[in-house]
Amino acid sequence: MKKAIGRACALTLCLVGGAMVAPAMAADPIEALAATCNNCHGLNGVSVGASMPSIGGQSEAYLRMLMLEWKSGARYSATMGRLLKGYSDEQIAALAKYFAAKPWVPSEQRAPDQVVFNGRLVSDRCTTCHGERGGQPSDSATPRLNGQWAMYLEMELNKYRDDAVNLPHRKMRKNAQKLEQAEVYEVSNFMAVQKGQ
Amino acid sequence: MNSVNRRSFIQALAAVGSASILTVPTARASATSKARVVVVGGGFGGAAAAKYIKLMDNAIDVTLVEPNATYTACPLSNEVISGHRTLESLQTRYGGLTARGINIVQRWVTAVDPVKKVVTLTGGATLSYDALVMAPGIDFTWGSVEGYTLAASEQMPHAYKAGPQTLLLQKQVMAMKDGEVCIIAPPPKPFRCPPGPYERAAQIAHYLQHHGKGKSKILILDPNDSFSKKGLFEQAWKTLYPGMIEWIPGKDDGKVVRVNPATHTCYTTFGEHKGSVINIIPAHTAGKIARDAGLANAQGWCEVQPMTMESTMHKDIYPVGDACIAGELPVYDMPKSAHMAVTQAKVAAGAIVAKINGLPNPEPYYVNTCYSLAAPDYGFSVVHVYKVEANKFIYVKDAGGISPIKTPPITRRLEAEYANGWFNNIMADAFV
Ligand SMILES: Cc1cc2nc3c(=O)[nH]c(=O)nc-3n(C[C@H](O)[C@H](O)[C@H](O)COP(=O)(O)OP(=O)(O)OC[C@H]3O[C@@H](n4cnc5c(N)ncnc54)[C@H](O)[C@@H]3O)c2cc1C
Ligand code: HEC
Ligand code: HEC
Repeated sequence: MKKAIGRACALTLCLVGGAMVAPAMAADPIEALAATCNNCHGLNGVSVGASMPSIGGQSEAYLRMLMLEWKSGARYSATMGRLLKGYSDEQIAALAKYFAAKPWVPSEQRAPDQVVFNGRLVSDRCTTCHGERGGQPSDSATPRLNGQWAMYLEMELNKYRDDAVNLPHRKMRKNAQKLEQAEVYEVSNFMAVQKGQ
Repeated sequence: MNSVNRRSFIQALAAVGSASILTVPTARASATSKARVVVVGGGFGGAAAAKYIKLMDNAIDVTLVEPNATYTACPLSNEVISGHRTLESLQTRYGGLTARGINIVQRWVTAVDPVKKVVTLTGGATLSYDALVMAPGIDFTWGSVEGYTLAASEQMPHAYKAGPQTLLLQKQVMAMKDGEVCIIAPPPKPFRCPPGPYERAAQIAHYLQHHGKGKSKILILDPNDSFSKKGLFEQAWKTLYPGMIEWIPGKDDGKVVRVNPATHTCYTTFGEHKGSVINIIPAHTAGKIARDAGLANAQGWCEVQPMTMESTMHKDIYPVGDACIAGELPVYDMPKSAHMAVTQAKVAAGAIVAKINGLPNPEPYYVNTCYSLAAPDYGFSVVHVYKVEANKFIYVKDAGGISPIKTPPITRRLEAEYANGWFNNIMADAFV
């Protein structure tokens, strides 16, 4: 290194340079609020950790319902409930809207062919509500499963199967409880490797 | 299930490629940049600050100064000691930040002139700044335990900065014979990762239990009278490792005041304890450069303004991460965690970008979560939410809190997995 490097840019000089575009992210207050979720769910709600769900691109109604149920305690959670008690209902609504507007990005995952094949057969019991490959939910209260992390899907199904935890959706509980343990793994992996809807 | 989760961070990073790391500061952005931000330290706090400033306003020139080409994260490093993780699984380089247009300068910052707004690097080069993010983490106070020097740490590892020290402690634990004692001596509060020493006790117990050394003991000699997630840890110790872990609080003569590495002895005020492995974690302060820059209070920590994370001592300097102290001590201060460092970095980034652009300061949000792993399939957490009221950090008592003591067993299994997923995401949130 040779010598001192002066001030990179005098502020005034830049201003003279022309219209200064105000950065959108700094201006919009929802960005700072949503950034508190990135630590666990990834930028734009795209998770890179197999046990943490991607949330960007799920429906607004689903996201909002989950968060409000957690906050009130009506729905079991390990972590989210304690966190959301620190957010107002308005903030929760704004977050649901924000993440619902992001694109749904299926995660890059692989599974053995046989597992996917078996999972495809199991998924016949799921398609009426979740769509052929998990990506076309029949209504706004149903989540996308295509490209969600296999591990997360498996963990979720195991929650629905566990009578000790309180998850209000009776039909989904029933569906999960009808699965064999091996089928839980298979169908989770089938859904997880789907790139399309 | 575990292996996928423990591997995928590295896989995610592979996609980013290996953009070259600049070792010399450049002025290439000067013609188009609005302002220059210099970041001191490329840990969780510094990396996240650099990334979020660039993300919010690409026209700001951001230079991150960090002496190491590879960063080794501390979270989950207790799992390296028990053999459930490799040190490599905790490492990252800075290619993700370079790809975002951030200049990485591989140097130490040796001085800060807060009046001229210039930093000096090893070798003598200087960088001027419009805003400075100060994120050097912590330094140990050698001598806070008499006889515990840098040299002594080669025999009695602290393993509280992940890297060779972690591997040294792992090696020593592996060499223990059944029935031998391992001593852990946590530092006085405040220290980084408040649950860290107690998680470590569980991880070491797990190793010993599964390697035919179940008669061994772990003795925690604590200068403090309580600790983070105490009820949850005690429950886990009792359930998983009955009789293996004993905790002696400061009020019962737990405080180690002196060590003798040659004889493997820890001295408390009235007693002495021998251990074949001794893990001394010395007292902490903010990293030296933050103290040298005049940012620290009498206790050695950087105080900040809650709305912006700007230093209370110097304008346009934003201390973030372990170097700061915020909130009400001793119970409601902000924990020194990777999660909190990243959270604070986002607040600082928002404030800096707003100021440079003449925009109103965004509302700051402070939340934290610390997962702890008592075994690979046994985890729990603490959540903190803070609000800023009348320019003060207020801990929100009706939010957050610890995982319930009474809960179905599935909760501990789930939180163990969430800890791994959290790690991958927080690494990406700061470094990619
Ligand atoms: C055993 C253990 C377990 C932990 N577990 C968790 C956990 O589960 N969850 C959690 O959230 N946190 C955990 N932590 C805490 C977490 O590691 C820290 O809170 C976090 O690293 C703080 O980030 P930081 O950026 O402030 O500091 P650091 O990560 O320490 O980074 C500081 C950086 O600054 C650089 N630096 C220092 N001085 C200079 C200088 N003069 N010039 C240039 N660069 C400099 C250093 O090289 C370093 O890279 C754990 C810590 C330990 C020790
Ligand atoms: C400390 C990590 C952490 C943070 C921070 C976090 N989450 Fe979560 N999130 C989780 C965990 C763990 C789950 C699984 C549910 C539970 O808590 O048991 C989850 C689940 C979810 C789900 C359910 C997704 C699905 O399809 O099942 C949504 C939605 C969600 N979080 C939204 C958010 C939002 C919005 C934020 C920011 C306000 C946020 N989370 C912050 C850890 C986190
Ligand atoms: C009757 C409609 C219906 C059927 C059939 C159905 N589901 Fe669901 N599923 C839902 C709804 C609605 C939810 C959200 C429930 C809630 O709020 O807890 C859901 C949630 C889930 C979740 C949680 C996802 C997440 O992001 O947390 C998984 C996993 C899942 N379903 C898998 C399946 C599988 C596998 C099948 C087939 C074996 C199936 N579902 C069949 C309606 C259905």
